[in-house]
Amino acid sequence: MLLFLARRIGVMLATALCLTFVVFYLTNIPAKLETLAKTQAGSRISDAEVASWLDRNGYNQPMLVRYGEWLGVVPGWTRTDGDGAVTGRCYRLTGATEPGAAPDRCGLMQGYWGNSTRFRAPVSQVISARLGATGWLMLWVLIVMVPMALIVGVLAGMREGSRTDRSLSTFAIASTATPEYVSGVVFIALLASSTVGLSPLLVQWGWIDGPVLFQGNARSALEKITFWNFALPVMTIALYGMGYIARITRASMTEVMTQQYIRTARLKGVSFPNIVLRHALRNALIAPFTVIMLQIPWLLNGVVIVEVLFSYPGFGWTLFEAAANNDIELLLAASVVAVLVVLVTQLISDIGYVWLNPRIRIT
Amino acid sequence: MTHMKRKATELHRAAKLYASECKEGKLSRREFMTRVTALGVTAPAAYGLLGLAAPEAKAQTAQMGGSLRMQMDIKAQRDPRTWDWSELANVCRGWLEYLVSYERDGSIQPVLLESWEANEDATVFTMNVRPGVTWNNGDPFTAADVAHNIERWCDASVEGNSMAGRMSALSEDGQLREGAIEIVDDLTLRLNLTSPDIAIIANMADYPAAVVHPSFTGDDPVANPIGTGPYRPVSHDTGIGAVIERNPDHTWWNEGNGAYLDRIEFVDLGTDPAAWMAAAESGEIDMTYQTTGDFVDLFESIGLPASEAITAATLAVRFNQGNPPYDNVNVRRALQMAVNNEVVLELGYNDRGTVAENHHVCPIHPEYAEIPGPVFDPARAREMIEAEGLGDHEFELISIDDDWQAATCDSVAAQIRAAGINIRRTILPGATFWNDWLNYPFSSTEWNMRPLGVQVLNLAYRSGESWNEAGFANAEFDALLDEANGIADADERREIMAQIQQIMLDEGVLIQPYWRSLYRNRRPNILNAEMHPTFEVRYQHYAVS
Repeated sequence: MLLFLARRIGVMLATALCLTFVVFYLTNIPAKLETLAKTQAGSRISDAEVASWLDRNGYNQPMLVRYGEWLGVVPGWTRTDGDGAVTGRCYRLTGATEPGAAPDRCGLMQGYWGNSTRFRAPVSQVISARLGATGWLMLWVLIVMVPMALIVGVLAGMREGSRTDRSLSTFAIASTATPEYVSGVVFIALLASSTVGLSPLLVQWGWIDGPVLFQGNARSALEKITFWNFALPVMTIALYGMGYIARITRASMTEVMTQQYIRTARLKGVSFPNIVLRHALRNALIAPFTVIMLQIPWLLNGVVIVEVLFSYPGFGWTLFEAAANNDIELLLAASVVAVLVVLVTQLISDIGYVWLNPRIRIT
Repeated sequence: MTHMKRKATELHRAAKLYASECKEGKLSRREFMTRVTALGVTAPAAYGLLGLAAPEAKAQTAQMGGSLRMQMDIKAQRDPRTWDWSELANVCRGWLEYLVSYERDGSIQPVLLESWEANEDATVFTMNVRPGVTWNNGDPFTAADVAHNIERWCDASVEGNSMAGRMSALSEDGQLREGAIEIVDDLTLRLNLTSPDIAIIANMADYPAAVVHPSFTGDDPVANPIGTGPYRPVSHDTGIGAVIERNPDHTWWNEGNGAYLDRIEFVDLGTDPAAWMAAAESGEIDMTYQTTGDFVDLFESIGLPASEAITAATLAVRFNQGNPPYDNVNVRRALQMAVNNEVVLELGYNDRGTVAENHHVCPIHPEYAEIPGPVFDPARAREMIEAEGLGDHEFELISIDDDWQAATCDSVAAQIRAAGINIRRTILPGATFWNDWLNYPFSSTEWNMRPLGVQVLNLAYRSGESWNEAGFANAEFDALLDEANGIADADERREIMAQIQQIMLDEGVLIQPYWRSLYRNRRPNILNAEMHPTFEVRYQHYAVS
């Protein structure tokens, strides 16, 4: 078990290293650095000003050296101004002003995630605040998605080919075939517009006070989550993930229902609900459990679209902003977080799999 | 006394023009009212122009109190002189004020200055500082503070300091020139310019010219909000929003004439107008920063009326005279003649603007001179092209792939084609287009507005100027422009302007179809929040009723 964990963490570190290097390379090609200088020092500055800005902020060293600085294996750059004042990467990150007061190296290994150029704040602060917001969104998505998916899947898989199975399967396929950017827009048009969809009718009948039923914008959820401002983003993500999990659950359920021990139980006169709940369910949940865990990183994709669409400033929104503004250190930190999420969920899925299926053992 | 502002009693020239258009039925009455009131004509006077009595207006006076939520991008703050987006300035307008302000009617009004005078040839400006102004930390506001700010503006060694270019007549080697500013007494100072520059005062109304306290250093006017205005920041989160509240510890110099709202919230909802729309529908915002295209009508349909600002921003469909056949004035004039600017405005820009007259001077410019406009005559255009032996020549019109710019050029080309002249359209992506924008033989460029008519002419049409994309070189034009640059009074300058505009028309320099209008939508109970031609959000004057 320990060996397994150690190997997994090793894989995680290697993946994070490769991914961050790719991100670092792509955000540091010269044209991207020029974009960065222009977003930082003024969008209409001249080429000479761009060069001088890059020089003054330590961007003109070889790419590998700067990647090393970010990791903390190479000493951070320093520069002595004409009047004797020393600036440098570590001086800025630690806030030191006295020459010699800052540490030599200040990268990931020393615990410095760097500063976000877009938000003018430490990356760790930005990421933790935004991850918190996404945490709430994901929590509600899981609360809505997982039970719904399992119920739909189990009901459909209980009696393969029945009318219930056909209609629930159709629903599941339709929901998973609709990407978030389509369903989100459809939801807003149907439920959150005062001119089209449901809201004008409800207003006409006097059923709602405000002009719209749901809020088509989740910004106010940042301060206080209510059913009315959070329902649409949660539904948009949950519906997409739900169909897929329901399909897997159904497949797994139908397979279990054809097993010999189920037939034996029926012949012994066990009631149908009891068969489903006692004998079939646990075995049928093995496959969906893995899929649910794998689905979480996938949902992070959806979070980018949904958070931008509903202007809810979470992790996905931060990723979008960082990419749009070439915020190098924020993007790097976001990719580390993404790697963490993928590998931790996989770890949980592996361990849970062992628990659900005694035939598998981790060695 | 030669103030640059127009006398308040004088009617704007364009107002009379619009009145006659309205009477002829070319302009709807509503459109007429929007445009004329935007020019500073009061509503009763505007009705008077049409020979009508003003309807009884509903009493809507500004009251103290209330709050407002507005959609606007919140960008990371930086040193005001390096601001590159109006939004950066708008957040800080509540505490960082300006020496002068640019008004919706095109005039320049004093704010922290009380008045100013120029000498005969506009080389010496005397500025009188408004007495009784204090900073919100208690310090008095004096001429030395003004001098300190001008010195900051002149410092070209700061990357992205766009004020340095605007203050070039006061600087030398990228710094304030020795002797350029004389502090006469606590409330008076004198600027000595190296060359006549009537735009110097107008430039001080530009958004990077926010006046900061002498103690201000660094990059963040929000973290250290010392200013002269009535508000102060509460919070500022890049990409998310900002909250501003009335400052209870400070007596504003202009108390009683503003600072009505208790609290202003800016909400950054990203760049997608559909998201703003959703937020407006659920009551999360009360007004937009700028609305474009179809969304102007969509917001109106959900109960947020639009406010229009006429601007001098435009699309210049210019010929480059360094490239044959455009070195021939007859060819240029023939192509101009083939195009009806009204049609271009309607098809290329959804009628969201005013028709322009091919000389790049706008009716909202104080020195705009009324001269007979361009002639539309496609048959004559075809004859002239044939007379030059270009009957079979295929012209090419290049544009960027931007939506409205491409549509405008399409409609210009369609009319030239309809006149029987061969023309091909080429659309280039932005990344390629800007590499060579100065040298295309026939293409279009977006120009933003400047408060004075001479400013764009100086930048874009003077011989050898670096942005002279038309390749226009005319000694008489340059001489007249020099003369106009030295006349601070707009009425006097207008006589020369008439000649300058006529040269632009005679030489067929460009097809300039329209002036773009800008729009903003806000709830009907919000007062004084009309769209501003340079995107200013002066929330210290906004109120709710």
